[in-house]
Amino acid sequence: MTASKTRWQTGQAAGGALSLLALLAALTMPGCRAVPVQAPANYLRVDIDTSPLSLDPRYGTDAVSSRINELIFDSLARIDARGAIVGELAESLERPSPTELVFHLRRGVRFSDGRPLTARDVKYTFDSMLDPAALSPKGGDMAALARVEAPDDFTIKFITTRPYAPALQWALHGVVPYATPPPGRNQPAPPGSGPFRLRRLVRDEWVILDRNPYHRAPPAAVGGIAFKVVPDPTVCALELIKGAAQFAQNNLPPDLVAYLRGRRGLRVVQAAGSTYQYMEFNFRDPILADLRVRQAIAMAIDRDALVASIMRGTARVATGMLAPENWAYEANVVRYPYDPQAARRLLDAAGYPMRAGGRRFALVYTTTQGEERRLLAQAFAAMLAEVGIELRIRTYEWPTFYSDIQRGNFDVTSMAWIGINDPHHYYMVFDSAMTPPKGLNRSGYSNPRMDRLLEQADATLDPVRRKAIYAEVQKLAAHDLPYLSLWWQDNVAVMSREVAGFRPFPNGSLRSFASISLAQGGLLRLPPEAPEAALR
Amino acid sequence: MMRFFLRRLAGLAPVALGVATLTFALIHLVPGDPVIAMLGENAAPVDIAAMRHQLGLDRPLPAQYVSYLGGLLRGDLGSSISFHEPVTALIAARFPATLELAAAGLTVAVLIAFPLGFIAGARPGSAADFGAMAFAILGISVPHLYLGPLLMIVFSLRLGWLPLTGRGGLAHLVLPALTMGTAMAGILARMLRQSLAGVRDADFMRAARAKGLGEFHALAAHGLRNALTPVVSLMGLQAGALLTGSIVTEIIFSWPGIGRLMIEAIAARDYPLAQGCVLVFALTYVVVNLLTDIAYSLIDPRVRLG
Repeated sequence: MTASKTRWQTGQAAGGALSLLALLAALTMPGCRAVPVQAPANYLRVDIDTSPLSLDPRYGTDAVSSRINELIFDSLARIDARGAIVGELAESLERPSPTELVFHLRRGVRFSDGRPLTARDVKYTFDSMLDPAALSPKGGDMAALARVEAPDDFTIKFITTRPYAPALQWALHGVVPYATPPPGRNQPAPPGSGPFRLRRLVRDEWVILDRNPYHRAPPAAVGGIAFKVVPDPTVCALELIKGAAQFAQNNLPPDLVAYLRGRRGLRVVQAAGSTYQYMEFNFRDPILADLRVRQAIAMAIDRDALVASIMRGTARVATGMLAPENWAYEANVVRYPYDPQAARRLLDAAGYPMRAGGRRFALVYTTTQGEERRLLAQAFAAMLAEVGIELRIRTYEWPTFYSDIQRGNFDVTSMAWIGINDPHHYYMVFDSAMTPPKGLNRSGYSNPRMDRLLEQADATLDPVRRKAIYAEVQKLAAHDLPYLSLWWQDNVAVMSREVAGFRPFPNGSLRSFASISLAQGGLLRLPPEAPEAALR
Repeated sequence: MMRFFLRRLAGLAPVALGVATLTFALIHLVPGDPVIAMLGENAAPVDIAAMRHQLGLDRPLPAQYVSYLGGLLRGDLGSSISFHEPVTALIAARFPATLELAAAGLTVAVLIAFPLGFIAGARPGSAADFGAMAFAILGISVPHLYLGPLLMIVFSLRLGWLPLTGRGGLAHLVLPALTMGTAMAGILARMLRQSLAGVRDADFMRAARAKGLGEFHALAAHGLRNALTPVVSLMGLQAGALLTGSIVTEIIFSWPGIGRLMIEAIAARDYPLAQGCVLVFALTYVVVNLLTDIAYSLIDPRVRLG
């Protein structure tokens, strides 16, 4: 065999392998597929961390779906920037009897495909959520809704099974056109009557919204919103610095927010939020069933220090589930200032003296695998060790963690409630009838007085009397400590200085995108929004 | 070769069955509930029961397994619980993106590894060998999670040459491919270096030199070919690992591939979608290894497939 022949064969073999690679590469190269999606000019570019699960308001329950859906769909009422329920499709509300809510609809509203919105569409939306065959995740909250009637084109009537104060919350669900089928591949989002309409959904990549041509937009407002899915928070921060993204809210950890503060071209808007972080105790555990032990834990945890360090000042120390912006908030509740000496005395009194090695007893702290959660767990463990409580940390991926919590398989855990609007949430988590799977009372907390108050509050339609009852509920919850309130998390939006007109909402709503503008140097300022009358 | 090819293709069926069975068992054994994930934690028990029934999750596991296998035989992977779309459509929409990334990563790896491994293998113990292997070790050691953002900061943020994230033109592919391919390049380069160093003193190499071939030509014409077999074998294994290893890169670069889809499906306990993604990964791995076997016979005619 000659050298040249051998070289040729080697070259042939290597060429074959490279050709295979090239073929594989060529088959999948960008040129072989659709043109890449681009955000159109004059569209606000927003980074989100996950794709919305459903752009049908009857089905989307995750945070990203909720945020986008409220831009596409109007509802009978909505929460305004002060946290009050105001009319949206409904211009007025009547309560002719304790079991009836009558909404009078605005006229001239159209879906983005031009169809007029009438009471028939509203009735259909609610009927389809209540239909067990439709499997809407929203149906479970509406067990007290007996039926919905549409006596004429502009009147809608909710009839409840009993006098039910939280019924107004149902009016927050987005409205879809009559006969809209459940979501499917060929219909990613039905038309809505909100300020935007879906232009394109590319899962895991983009959600692009255009202006709804039938919804009046303020002059100079953006032409649309381009949501880009960027799962990694560090990359999201890089996109903001580069200018590839112009806005991100609540998807950056506090340390990255601190890094972005003061960066040229960016500004951080931090506003009071209603997301409530708490520590939950399992009352089935004989140690934790003792109030003195729970009080000792509360006094051993320095929440001010945690807010300053782990949260980097992006939260407020909480006194209860309802944030001060909520109409039913009660400030006059028992508080537990950081006092490790008092905590030690309480533990001694409870019959848990300090043993050799500086340890009284051990508890298991169950949490998820996120970096912030693990950091928090370590901080709790260090603080509780100071008073002689050993905290054994167990971390699990979310579904396993949640399954354990649901089954009561935990001693201590910490989670957050997002988007608490109505104090009825207390019923779901603290009423003794609401243990899983029926409700969310996972700690097994039971106090007949709490049960009475909660049931009474749900049946009280007078907001003043209802508020007084919830004041008692909050005082009792702070005393009994089924939850140790940690903090209310702020809404933190990082945006380009070009963005003008953004208004933060306590529940994290992006509804102000309807009037947002892009201006060089952030010079454009919009007039303040006039407050609207709350629906009662 | 055709017989070999057909036999290996037929071998896909038991592999698919094994993977489907294993995935089905594992995902149903781990705690978590797709219905709670879907309906939310405050869903009414009656709604939870209705959804379980509709999805067939209230049936005994063996019955669910038989239904799943029946669907597989018809090419139906079921419908995603979270997305309300057929699993095949969801996977088909993302699989090209993952394949594109893996192919580009493999190309980068080969383009870096072959010169590096050859330089090192040609003169073991030399400064070139030391430098090339130090580079290879660095490539292996730096995790994707660190390398990706580092490349972004340098090439996108500082120099402004390349886009940060997303899937689009060729420019979008460069940084993810470099992130994916660097570690594999290091592994391949080290293997090629070892393999070349091993054949340098073989009889056929001495014969080639005796015929008057220079060291470089002898190594390129005779040594490289003989050294390639273990490298190609490793490439086959690594190409499969590239597919599964693309998950981290897909997350960093917001790349809409099947890896991210699988993570989302597992987190939501979306049984049909998670099973579909794992099945596709496994079958791709088998096909890549089949292609590797075919590549053996092209490189070394002594290898007979049959």
